[in-house]
Amino acid sequence: MRILGMIAAVALLAGPALAQDFSEGSEAKSWNLTGERKARFAAKVVDAPCALTGDCPEDCGAGLRQMVLIREADGKTLLTFKNVQPIFTGATVDLAAYCGQTVTVDGLLVGDPEYTKGAEIMQVQIVTTADGTAAKTNQWSKDWAAKNPDVGGKGPWFRRDPRINDRIAKTGRLGLGLEEDQKYIEENF
Amino acid sequence: MRELRDWLAASGLCIALATGAAATGARAAEGEQVTVTGEVIDTWCYYSGVMGWYDTVVGSAHHTCAMWCAAGGIPVGILADDGTVYMVMKWEGDPEIADGTAMLDVQSQRITANGTLHKVDDINYLMVAEVVANEGIVNRSHEDFGVVPPFAFPDPNKDK
Repeated sequence: MRILGMIAAVALLAGPALAQDFSEGSEAKSWNLTGERKARFAAKVVDAPCALTGDCPEDCGAGLRQMVLIREADGKTLLTFKNVQPIFTGATVDLAAYCGQTVTVDGLLVGDPEYTKGAEIMQVQIVTTADGTAAKTNQWSKDWAAKNPDVGGKGPWFRRDPRINDRIAKTGRLGLGLEEDQKYIEENF
Repeated sequence: MRELRDWLAASGLCIALATGAAATGARAAEGEQVTVTGEVIDTWCYYSGVMGWYDTVVGSAHHTCAMWCAAGGIPVGILADDGTVYMVMKWEGDPEIADGTAMLDVQSQRITANGTLHKVDDINYLMVAEVVANEGIVNRSHEDFGVVPPFAFPDPNKDK
């Protein structure tokens, strides 16, 4: 009995750093992803090279560096993978705006542990600052439009991005050359 | 007394283990020089399952989507043969890579890169210094799975 009490005491002391459920208060929307679980927690926003090497620009690279979250509860570093927009966009542009700040992030942790091997993969949907201002992570497409004012056409950015279309024109949608694309068309359409 | 001493020792160990994550939270470190060989992948689709199972979101089947995700700022990874994923945080020494431009040409290709590895909280962060070999796209996954997602290869007849 005493042993059990001791174990309970140790568990209490160690509690904050053991595997935690961060879902309390989360308003994140489900995307039906592998291993998905809601997560809302306070974290410091830092760019990854800064956190890893100490090379820390004031603006975290202004969206051009990958971003990590250093979770307040346990000090764990989480790499951010995705913003809330369903258009193949990451979270760097949205998070760089909070460079160096401690904010509350709300989103989804995803992944099958067999593949992630302990890594926590984070989609950030909402960022709330210390003064309570909440914002969805939906700035990427606006940033792209501002940087590509002369790109015309219809449809989402990824259909119109000149960098991608140039490469598709040269090496095809399979990346194997235009002949392979043509063969695929003949066999599948 | 001995029981108390054993308990303190055990609890101290547990607390040290439990708080280890806090101690190893983001911090500047030297890193380890490594050479990594593997396929350049789109890590969001790979881990999240949003487009399909693991084997379907690599190689030629997923090439166009991988370019979209890289250009969209999603972290690019290198999937080694043993299943380890290395998250690329610098490309040929440059940390400003999140617009994806520098890595568009190597999506889905099998490369060998030298760089510095920082392993923090179970994520392998790789600062690629130099690509020393490139075998091109060797995983012809479209032959098994078609294109993933299918809309990455629009029906050309619909545009006519």
